[in-house]
Amino acid sequence: MKEKKISFTPEKLWSIAVFAFFAWFIFSFLLFPNLNTIVSVFYQDGHFTTEVFTKLINSEKAMRSLRNSLILAPSLSLTVGFVGISLVLITEYFDIKGANILRLGYMTTLIYGGIILVSGYKFIYGKTGILTSLFVKIFPNFPIDWFEGYWAVLFVMTFACTSNHMIFLRNAMRSVDFQTVEAAQNMGASQFRILTRVVFPVLTPSLMAVTILTFITGLSATSAPLLVGGRDFQTITPMILTFANNISSRPLAALLALFLGVATILLLTIMIQIEKRGHYMSISKVKTTIVKQKIRNPVLNVLAHVYAYFLFLIYVVPVSLVVLFSFTDSATIASKKLTLSSFTLQNYIAIFQKASSYKPFMVSICYSAIAASIAAVIVLVACRILQKRKDRLSGAMEYGLLIPWLLPTTLMALGLITTYNTPRPWMLNKVLTGTSIIMLIGYVIIKIPFTLRMTKAAFFSLDDSLEDAARNMGAKPFYTFMRVQLPIILPTVLAIFALNFNGLLGDYDMSVFMYHPLNKPLGVYIKSLTDSETNADNAALTFVYAVLMMIISAIVMYLVYGRGNKIDKSKD
Amino acid sequence: MIKLEHIEVTFGTFKALQDINIDIQEGEFFTFLGPSGCGKTTTLRTITGFISPSNGTVSVRGKDITNTPIEKRNIGMVFQSYALFPTMTVYENIAFGLQVKKMNKEEIRKKVIEMGRKVDLSEDQLKKKVSELSGGQQQRVAIARALATNPEIICLDEPLSNLDAKLRVQLRNELKDLQKRFGITTVYVTHDQEEALTLSDRIAVFNKGVIEQIGRPDEIYSHSATEFVCNFIGDINRLGEAFLVGTGADKAGVDTSKHCYIRLERMHVNEHMANDTLKTEAVVEDYEFYGLYIKYTVRALGQTVKVVEKNSGKPLYQKGDTVTLSYNPADIMQYEG
Repeated sequence: MKEKKISFTPEKLWSIAVFAFFAWFIFSFLLFPNLNTIVSVFYQDGHFTTEVFTKLINSEKAMRSLRNSLILAPSLSLTVGFVGISLVLITEYFDIKGANILRLGYMTTLIYGGIILVSGYKFIYGKTGILTSLFVKIFPNFPIDWFEGYWAVLFVMTFACTSNHMIFLRNAMRSVDFQTVEAAQNMGASQFRILTRVVFPVLTPSLMAVTILTFITGLSATSAPLLVGGRDFQTITPMILTFANNISSRPLAALLALFLGVATILLLTIMIQIEKRGHYMSISKVKTTIVKQKIRNPVLNVLAHVYAYFLFLIYVVPVSLVVLFSFTDSATIASKKLTLSSFTLQNYIAIFQKASSYKPFMVSICYSAIAASIAAVIVLVACRILQKRKDRLSGAMEYGLLIPWLLPTTLMALGLITTYNTPRPWMLNKVLTGTSIIMLIGYVIIKIPFTLRMTKAAFFSLDDSLEDAARNMGAKPFYTFMRVQLPIILPTVLAIFALNFNGLLGDYDMSVFMYHPLNKPLGVYIKSLTDSETNADNAALTFVYAVLMMIISAIVMYLVYGRGNKIDKSKD
Repeated sequence: MIKLEHIEVTFGTFKALQDINIDIQEGEFFTFLGPSGCGKTTTLRTITGFISPSNGTVSVRGKDITNTPIEKRNIGMVFQSYALFPTMTVYENIAFGLQVKKMNKEEIRKKVIEMGRKVDLSEDQLKKKVSELSGGQQQRVAIARALATNPEIICLDEPLSNLDAKLRVQLRNELKDLQKRFGITTVYVTHDQEEALTLSDRIAVFNKGVIEQIGRPDEIYSHSATEFVCNFIGDINRLGEAFLVGTGADKAGVDTSKHCYIRLERMHVNEHMANDTLKTEAVVEDYEFYGLYIKYTVRALGQTVKVVEKNSGKPLYQKGDTVTLSYNPADIMQYEG
C-alpha cells in the first residue's frame, strides 16, 4: 500500500495560518463572548439556575424598561413608516414645488444622527430649550419638562430614523417603471388607485425590510431614551447599561441583552424570508423613469405642500440652530437671544486649544480610523478566501464573521466586557476589560458584517477572466491580487472605510460599555456634556462637535455617494 | 503542432468532454464551433491549462504539457470579455506579461511600442485607459497583450460575441488580417457558423462534449459528416419521402428511407442548371427579399421547401405563381435515421 506523503508547501502553510487566525478571531471575539453571556445568565456559582428570571420579574425597573421597549418599537415602526413614506412620495413621486431643497432637508439625518441629533432636539425642546422658553414666556404655567418621556422619545426617533427610507425606499421608488403608471392611467385608474395598486406593491419588499430595521432600532434604542426619556421612560439598553455597572446585577443585564439578541435574530430571520420571497423585477424592455405626478385636487395639493414644508422645518430647524449657535458666545446660548455682537469663532478656536476639548475628538478619530482599517484588511483577506474556495470551512468562516449582524451592539459589548474581565488562555492570559484595546476590538467587530457584505459584492462582481488573463501571462496569485484585483475594488474598499469611519466617529452604544476613562470617545463625551444642559459652555462645545461631525459626514457622503452619482450620470 | 489525444473532462458526474482527438498544424487558424454547452470552451481551457483533463494528453510540438502550469505553457489567450485590466493604461496592459517575466524597463518599452505598431495602436493610444478605446481598439489591445510575450499559440474565446453585427464583421476581417501578419497558430472558439466558415483553415464541430466532424469550411458545409453538422451549419431543407419519390430521386440513387437534406441554394426555381436532373412543379407561398439574394418559400408535392436565388435583377415571383423547382440528386446529404 502506498503511503500518502503530506507536504507543507509555503502556500499551504500560509493558508493554514490564515485559517487559524480566522478561527481564533471568530471564536475569541464573535462566538465565545456571546455564548459566555448566555452561560452567565443560566449558570451561576457552577449551577444551572433560572433565578435571574425571578429577579427580572421582581425588578420593577427592568420590567418597565421591557414594557417601554415593546411599546416604543411598534409605535416607532408606525410613525417612521408614515413619515418615511411621505418623504419619499414628496421628493420622488408627487410634483411638490421645491422638492430638491426639501430632499436636502430630509436628508440631514444622514449627516446628523445619533447622540448629536438628540442633543440638537433637546436644545430646542428641552427644559431650557428655545421653544420651551418661548412657550413659558407666552404661557407662564407651561410645564418646562413637557419634552420628556415616551412622546419625546417617539418624536425624536421618528425623525432620526427616516435615513433608511431616504436610502432604500427612495431607490425602490426609482425602480418603479413609469410605463406601468402610464398603462394604469391609460386604463382610467385614479391617482389613488395607481399609488396603491401599482406603485406601493413595488415598494412593499423594501418597505417591509425598513420597517423591521426600524422595529429593531426601536427595541434597542439608546441615546433618545437616555437624553429625553426622563425617569419614567427608560428602555432596555439604558437599563442594561445601568445593570452592567454593578457586578451583582450583571446577570440581569445579560438576560436583557439576550432578550434583545433573540428578538433581533427573529426579526432578521423574518426580513431574510421577505428578501427571499423576492424583490420586484421590472420586466419592461425599455424602462422609463418616474415622471412626477401633479396632485390634481387643488385642496389636497395645498395640504401636501403645507405638510411637506412643515416636515422640512422639523428636520432643518434643529440643525440650523445648532450650526448658528455654534458661532455664538455662551451668554447667547444661555439666553437664546441673538444679536450681531453674539457671533464669534471663539468656540471653534477653544476646541483646538484646550486639550480636554480636542482630546475626545482625537480619540474618536484614532479609534475609528484604526478600527475601520483593521476591518477592511480582515475582510479583504476573508473575501479573497471566499472567492477562491467554496467549501464548508470558508462557508463557516463567512457565517462566523456575520454574527455581529444578527446581534445587537449591547449584547456584543456586554459579552466582550464580561468575558475578558478574567484572563483567558487564547488571549495569552491578559485581561482586556478596562484596557484601551477592548473598545478597538468592539469597533472592529461591529463593522465586520457590513464591510464583508459590501466587499464581497465588489469581489464577486469582478470579471473572473481578469484573474485568468493575469495567470495566463504568468502572474502569481498575490501579484494578481495586488496589481489587478485590488486596484479595481479599491474605490469600494475606500468607500466602505469612509462609511465605517463616519459611523464609528460618534458611536455611543458600543463605546459607553467599553471606553477607557483616560480615552473618552466623542459620543460618550457629548453625552456627558448634554447631561448638564444648563451649562452654556458645554452646549457650545456640543454644537461645535456636532458641526465638525456634520462636515466630516458630509464629506464622506459626498465622496461615497455624490461622486459616484456624478460618474454614473456621465456614463449615461 | 497541438495534439489533443483522448481528452476527457468531467465536472462531478457530468462528462463535459469525451474522447477528444485533435491535431492542429503550425500556423493554422483552427476553430472550435458548436452550440452553447457543447464543450468547445472547455477544450480551449484544457489547452491553456485552466482546466485539467481527467484523461488524455495535451502536447505541443510533441512535448506533453498536460500537467504543465498555465504560466509555463507559452500560450497567449484573448478572452470573451477581453479581460483588459480597467485600472491600467493600454501600455500597462500590454506590458503586464513582460513585467511578470521581469524584463528590464527599456526592453518592455520597446516591445510594447512594437506590439502597438503591429496592431495599429499609436503611442498616444498606448497612454490611454482601456475604457477610452473603441471595441475594435480594445480587441487589438487584447491581441497585442496576448502576443507580447511571444507565445507559440494564441487562443481566442469568442472574442466577437458581445459586439453588434456590423462591428463583428469589421473585427472579423481585422482578426484574420492580424493572424496572417503574425503567422501564429490560432485556436478560435465560436458558436457563430458564419464566423467559423469565413475565418478558419479548419473547423472542429462540437456537440454534447464530442467532436462531430473536423474539416475545411467547405467540407463541413457541403459534405457534413453527421446530421447534427448538416443542421447546425447553414440553412437546410429536409426532404420527405413523398417529395423524393415524386421528383424521382429514388431512381437517381437516393435512399429515401434515410434522412435526406439539401442546402437552400442547391435548389432552383425556373433556373435550368445543367446538373439539375430532377424537377417538379411548385407554387410560391412567400418570399423574403434580402437585396443580394431572395429566399422563396414554395410548396411542391405536399412539402414546403425553401430556395435561395441570387438577385439577378429579374422580376420577383409573386405569391401563387407556379414555378419549376429543380435540383441535382448528388447534392442531397443522406443520414441514417
